[in-house]
Amino acid sequence: MDHALELREVVKRFGPNIAVNRVSLTVERGQCYGLIGPNGAGKTTTFSLMCGYLFPNQGEIRILGVTPQQQGALKQKVGVLPQDAILPPWSKVGFLLHYWATLQGLENPERCAREALDLVGLAETWNTAAQALSHGMAKRVSMAQALMGDPPVVLLDEPTSGLDPRIAAQIRQLIRDLKGKQTIVVSSHNLQELEELCDAAAILDRGTLVQSGSMSDLTSIGAEFRVQIASGSVPLAELKALRGCTGASLEPSGILTVSFDRSLVAPEEIITCVVALLAAREVLILSVSRGRKLEERVLQLT
Amino acid sequence: MLRSARAVVLLGLYGLFSLLVLLIVGSISKAFQASVNQQVAAQANPAAIEQAYAQARLGLLGFLFSGDVAILEALKEIPLVVVIVFKVTLVFLPAYVALIGFDQLSGELSQHSIRYLVVRGKRSSILFGKFVAQALLLLSLVLLVDLGIFLYAKATNEDFTWLAMGKSLLRFWLAAILFSLAYLSLTSLCSVLFRNPALSLVVNLAALFAFWLLDVIGRAESLRLLRFFSPSQYAANLLHPRLSEFAISTAGYAGFAVLFLGASYLVIRSRDV
Repeated sequence: MDHALELREVVKRFGPNIAVNRVSLTVERGQCYGLIGPNGAGKTTTFSLMCGYLFPNQGEIRILGVTPQQQGALKQKVGVLPQDAILPPWSKVGFLLHYWATLQGLENPERCAREALDLVGLAETWNTAAQALSHGMAKRVSMAQALMGDPPVVLLDEPTSGLDPRIAAQIRQLIRDLKGKQTIVVSSHNLQELEELCDAAAILDRGTLVQSGSMSDLTSIGAEFRVQIASGSVPLAELKALRGCTGASLEPSGILTVSFDRSLVAPEEIITCVVALLAAREVLILSVSRGRKLEERVLQLT
Repeated sequence: MLRSARAVVLLGLYGLFSLLVLLIVGSISKAFQASVNQQVAAQANPAAIEQAYAQARLGLLGFLFSGDVAILEALKEIPLVVVIVFKVTLVFLPAYVALIGFDQLSGELSQHSIRYLVVRGKRSSILFGKFVAQALLLLSLVLLVDLGIFLYAKATNEDFTWLAMGKSLLRFWLAAILFSLAYLSLTSLCSVLFRNPALSLVVNLAALFAFWLLDVIGRAESLRLLRFFSPSQYAANLLHPRLSEFAISTAGYAGFAVLFLGASYLVIRSRDV
């Protein structure tokens, strides 16, 4: 078993409310995994269970073979960016990072702290009090503490929320750079960001896992493509008759969706055939895209 | 983590309160002594007056220490002002301890900043680390204030030798340590139970009031047993010269400390943060 993280039948109740209901999922080592869902879906609760902040009422959670709720089990194994944890306001950034690196048992805490701060582009804030930081800067300091010491698993809750587009892009690049080296779990509302960053994801709704799998499975990238039609009459019957085609439909907005069986036909082959057929019938095309947007999939499921 | 500005404010608060008590008790004591001196000078039989003064002092100490002759004997070298200020400070020390530590964990819980810590270490280490830090702060502040009181007593009492002062200071400080650690444990328990720091403080003060009530109700002969459930029951014998009495008091406070800290440990290891 090479799972970095595993949840089995996890249940979390707050009084009479069930926040997470029998959720099971696995994250492989080196994967970048997304937690997706609308507000109240149970993303943050699931995330908090993974970090050991909350205790499950039922089920089992393992991170790199240990239970997060076990005291001190996550030390040096997991770095966490909590969504709503406030940095102690009176402390200086450098002091905080140094203190946390020491608690983490890192060999050279000051060097690790300075490197992490440099990584998020805030080396100059070493002597700045946390209360003097802007929201975006505090978020990046929090990101720095999560990355200190290169933990094998990094859990990030809403890493780019509230950040301006330039800083958000920098954070996304940072996450992209970690891919393959560390296992990353990202919980976010930004579906475009998750689609771009993640190899796999779990979609939650009202505390229940509605679908999980690789990003290409979730977006049907291997079994569906879309054609934006500008004008002309689409020959749906002819399209459906093509080898390997399992369905074709045209939306009023002019989006033609074609699904196909990958075991019968390669994506490039059927895309070329469809485009050729449409061109032959004098249908004008604006664009072709594989799969569907993650956002559409999530809206369909939740 | 200790916040130095807050430590200074708390030292100031404790120091000012002690100073106020010291000034009031000191001036009363001084006026009383002056009156005695006057009467001694005027009377043909000064020995009788001095004996009356000693009786009055003994009566006051007896009131403060339940008339235990051994304690009264042990305290005879110590200026009256020190003993009274010490007894008064014991009354407000638990509230002061609550003010020092009410947000030691509830503050971290309410702001979720404890989440930066729990992935880096054991929850029990966070609890005991904070307890030790608060205890060190408290003991330093108490030592500073006690030292001030003893120096005042030394300056105003020629008979009070440096050796007696050193011995008494150590004894009073040790008694304050034992006393305050039990209350600090109670504060830790309240702080770990509630996410809201204000609620933690209110419950802590309510618990102090409940203990005081137990002590008062327990004075009735039929309800005597109730007093043993209040920490203040064990306060008087913390200055007792006999080892057995001192040990029982110490065990009482140690018992309360272990009980409250043990409960805090059970809460923090199983609560959501």
